[in-house]
Amino acid sequence: MVAPRANWKGYIKFGEVTCPVALYTAASSSERISFHTLNRKTGNRVKREFVDSESGEPVETDDQVKGYEIEGGRYVVLEPEEVTAVVPESDKTLKIEAFIPCSQVDTTYFDKPYYLAPDKMGGEAFALLRDGMAKTKVAAIARTVLFRRMRTVLIRAHGKGLVAATLNFDYEVRSSKEAFKELPDLKIEGEMLELAEHIIRTKKGSFDPGDFDDRYEAAVADLVKAKIEGRALPKKKLPIASKPGDLLKALRESAGVNASKSKSKRQAANANKGAPRQKASSPSTKSKQAATSRRTG
Amino acid sequence: MAVRPYWKGYLKLSLVTCPVEMMPATSDSEKVRFHTLNRETENRVVSHFVDAVTGKEVKEDDEVKGYQRGENEYVVLEDEELETVALESTKTIDISTFTPRDSIEWIWLDTPYYLSASEPVGQEAFSVIRDAMEAQKMVGISRLVISRRERAVMLEPRGKGIVLWTLRYGDEVRDEETYFTAASDAKADPEMMPLVQRLIKKLTKDWSPSMVEDPVQERLVDIIAAKKKATKKPSRAKSKSSTTPSTPSNVVNIMDALKKSVAAESRRRK
Repeated sequence: MVAPRANWKGYIKFGEVTCPVALYTAASSSERISFHTLNRKTGNRVKREFVDSESGEPVETDDQVKGYEIEGGRYVVLEPEEVTAVVPESDKTLKIEAFIPCSQVDTTYFDKPYYLAPDKMGGEAFALLRDGMAKTKVAAIARTVLFRRMRTVLIRAHGKGLVAATLNFDYEVRSSKEAFKELPDLKIEGEMLELAEHIIRTKKGSFDPGDFDDRYEAAVADLVKAKIEGRALPKKKLPIASKPGDLLKALRESAGVNASKSKSKRQAANANKGAPRQKASSPSTKSKQAATSRRTG
Repeated sequence: MAVRPYWKGYLKLSLVTCPVEMMPATSDSEKVRFHTLNRETENRVVSHFVDAVTGKEVKEDDEVKGYQRGENEYVVLEDEELETVALESTKTIDISTFTPRDSIEWIWLDTPYYLSASEPVGQEAFSVIRDAMEAQKMVGISRLVISRRERAVMLEPRGKGIVLWTLRYGDEVRDEETYFTAASDAKADPEMMPLVQRLIKKLTKDWSPSMVEDPVQERLVDIIAAKKKATKKPSRAKSKSSTTPSTPSNVVNIMDALKKSVAAESRRRK
């Protein structure tokens, strides 16, 4: 088997310990279905052209330069050399600035994952870092110039190796608090929560990436076929939102509980449902808590 | 400021359905943004579309999607027609499976979005699904068409809302075995493990967004400010002198390096 080519080679440094490492792309993205843009009037393909906004004349790539708008229509021009000069020269070293508990990692910062493996004679120090991080359940924050950009990466133990994820910068991630601030403070308790938890338990499974294929392309192909054959395109049925008054009923029905039966009979109904015994009966403490909060609330 | 939703649809758990909207969790809006200029005139460069055959400009209203059937044969698809595509997952996130939060490795996470209830009528149903996942420490798995691809997605409660992650396809994550052959032979010296763990503990901090600040962007802003102020040519920002990496530790001196590191960190704490 041919050894894969590293995308980057350098060092990891933690404290005074340095170990040579190689970095490899861990994930690639697959193609999406692509449409071409057409001119509706002629049915011809269209192509993109870059033109001067005043004269309308085409501008060659070599004549295109970056500009930063300082005020209406006035720009500071930055030549490519000036932009690249801002990036510090690479010291090829992922210097670990801090370790952080894995439970505190805010995953929304994640950009791209890379595999990190020991290079040359780095195995011993590599294994120490890997096993040390795994044992203490921490990830490491390091910064270096990767592919001509200054990047912060989060390094964590992953099986026999390490995974380094490049992180988005602070200004690139929206605050979730801000995003959700319009939502009301609504805490669900009692029977509704109990029923929803029950539904979740009955749908418990595992994620197998292999189960998920992209069915979109085939669906579009069907649509195109229908259109060519002059068949009427089906009207899409949109789901109907549950009305707040019907929510409890919908939950009861989803959980396989006969809404007409009284609450005391519900437990029995559940047990007869044919759901695995363990799933139906195990969360008894939770149900009790929920029942308590229902009474008090 | 209200951000226009990126996607609107429905969240569904069994017979419970509520209207939701979604926006990307990441954004370019705070980035130093450049425009492309024509070096000669310093006017903005704009892009437009021209007909590939006639060379005439094509107005935005006349642009339409074409599905390629043959070399020069296209089927025109209007957006409304595309909407009718026979897949539930274009409009509905129907949660099929729940799984413990820790069971999905980070490497599968692709792109994060924020999902919220979009109408008052759906708030309670949305909250039921969110709180039940939280109570069970589970995440939901579903399918959703985003950017013309049907993706596996993961739903994770976060505060008052839900973070929706697209998950990578099975063949998108490369087989780690290929890369970790050397790593799997690497063994840690058990005698050094306590020292490493001590060093890690000393260097462990709480997560803070300051760890993801961008020094380069700050310097770009400085350069722009200097250029704006000065008619004279500003001095080029000097790149930090690079430190040459110290020679890699070999097996013999790792122990020494670890001891030094722990000692140094202990001094710093005093």
